[in-house]
Amino acid sequence: MKQVREGWRAEPDISRLVRHWSAVGVAIAGFAIAPHTTLGQNYLPRDAGSTANAADKPAPNTPIPSYYAASYHAYQKMKAAARGGTRYTRETYAKMPDWSGVWTSDPRDGLKFDPEQRGNGFGGPLGPVTAHLTPRYRAAYEAKLRNIAAGNEWDQLSDCLPAGYPRFLTEPFLREFIVTPQETWWINEQQSEARRIYTDGRGHVPDDAAQPLWDGDSIGFWDGGTLVVHTIRVTHGEYQRSQPDYSYQTSTVERIRRVDANTIVDDVTVWDPKGLEQPWHVTRHYVRVTNPGSRIDMWSCEQNNNVVRTASGGSQFILPGETVKIERSYKEPNTFYLSEVQKKLFGEDEAESNSK
Amino acid sequence: MKKLLLAFCLSAVIGPAWAHHSAAMFDFSKTVTLAGTVKEFQYTNPHSWLQLLVVSPDGRTVEWGFETEGPSTLLRAGIKAKTFRPGDKVTVVANPMRDGRPAGSWISATTADGAVYRLRPGGPPKGAEPRSKSAP
Repeated sequence: MKQVREGWRAEPDISRLVRHWSAVGVAIAGFAIAPHTTLGQNYLPRDAGSTANAADKPAPNTPIPSYYAASYHAYQKMKAAARGGTRYTRETYAKMPDWSGVWTSDPRDGLKFDPEQRGNGFGGPLGPVTAHLTPRYRAAYEAKLRNIAAGNEWDQLSDCLPAGYPRFLTEPFLREFIVTPQETWWINEQQSEARRIYTDGRGHVPDDAAQPLWDGDSIGFWDGGTLVVHTIRVTHGEYQRSQPDYSYQTSTVERIRRVDANTIVDDVTVWDPKGLEQPWHVTRHYVRVTNPGSRIDMWSCEQNNNVVRTASGGSQFILPGETVKIERSYKEPNTFYLSEVQKKLFGEDEAESNSK
Repeated sequence: MKKLLLAFCLSAVIGPAWAHHSAAMFDFSKTVTLAGTVKEFQYTNPHSWLQLLVVSPDGRTVEWGFETEGPSTLLRAGIKAKTFRPGDKVTVVANPMRDGRPAGSWISATTADGAVYRLRPGGPPKGAEPRSKSAP
């Protein structure tokens, strides 16, 4: 066991790298950052023979909002250090990392974002969150914990919505990595949720064509056997039940690699100017599932979903033979699944953004 | 070492709260043991439910429901869609609902032939504490 854990530390500590790169290279990638502005885009295909839709390929270094600057700088520095990354093609596909098979989140990481946080998250209390939350997000988190202690907890999964990224990283169940030269899909069977990480050299979606996405807008490159990923434009949400919230300004850099035959490690650093006072670095682990017959199927959340929201914001079952009267009103699409605390928190974020 | 690691993972993955909903409706400080006849085994996502007809002390037959994981997790614990068939005699151990309704979070199920289908160690998970004193 100890040997495995030590193996996980064999790779450079991303947080140290980030601090170093931030100190020496902020200006290098700065040209790519423009607050809420976009420049002319070139949507012409870049890879002869690619089957990808050329219109979906924004130019490299497409400007993105300034609140993603810190993570983008870190990502660009990693890319420069990797000399632009390892270029794989259909012809060199056999040299790409083999992440085939079925995987699952290491249960020892628990139902929490940072595995180093105390507690397991299974119905029991968690220790203090390791993130350095801003005062407003800390206050909202404390309000959430008070509501949970009173038995009032709702999960957007109960609305059959996806976990969304970065919460995606914490979810259990079966996972697959579909690795191709042009893009990598990271699939979790829950809600059949899939992240698409583009490694074909494209930039992020330009601001005037972008919107918050459940799993964000991810681009990446290969640094040998490590997939380096920059993700922006997530939909605001929570890191997990009983965990803090994150804002729409959240962005991440991940370094994903297979460290042995049965373990994939994801070093994740999160930036969130609204929710975090400093980047939050966590290391998550995924282990190979070896049970015979394990395979991913379509996950239909509504097939057996008899969880309803109580008037006080809690969760309850409708059991066989029971009938409950549910007052159903218009579901505001961007907020209906949130708690009242989250509505206030994210509403303040939006109001602040609109006032600028 | 790797075998030990995987064995640990496979036993730990079947915890009580791999859920698509809050677990606040269950009382993890209590367990109930009920013997009955299988009405239906709903082998579905996001959760499977074992519906059991239980004869109460006053002679009434009450349908109890026991929530557990979806098919892929159950399969890894050796529980298949036809493991529990209508009419089978089964004894279930579960954490009951806080509000007293006939349902619970499945801990184990024992069939007439003595086979035990356990998704997690008996009793509440380590460190588990009630999150509320009353039903929401």
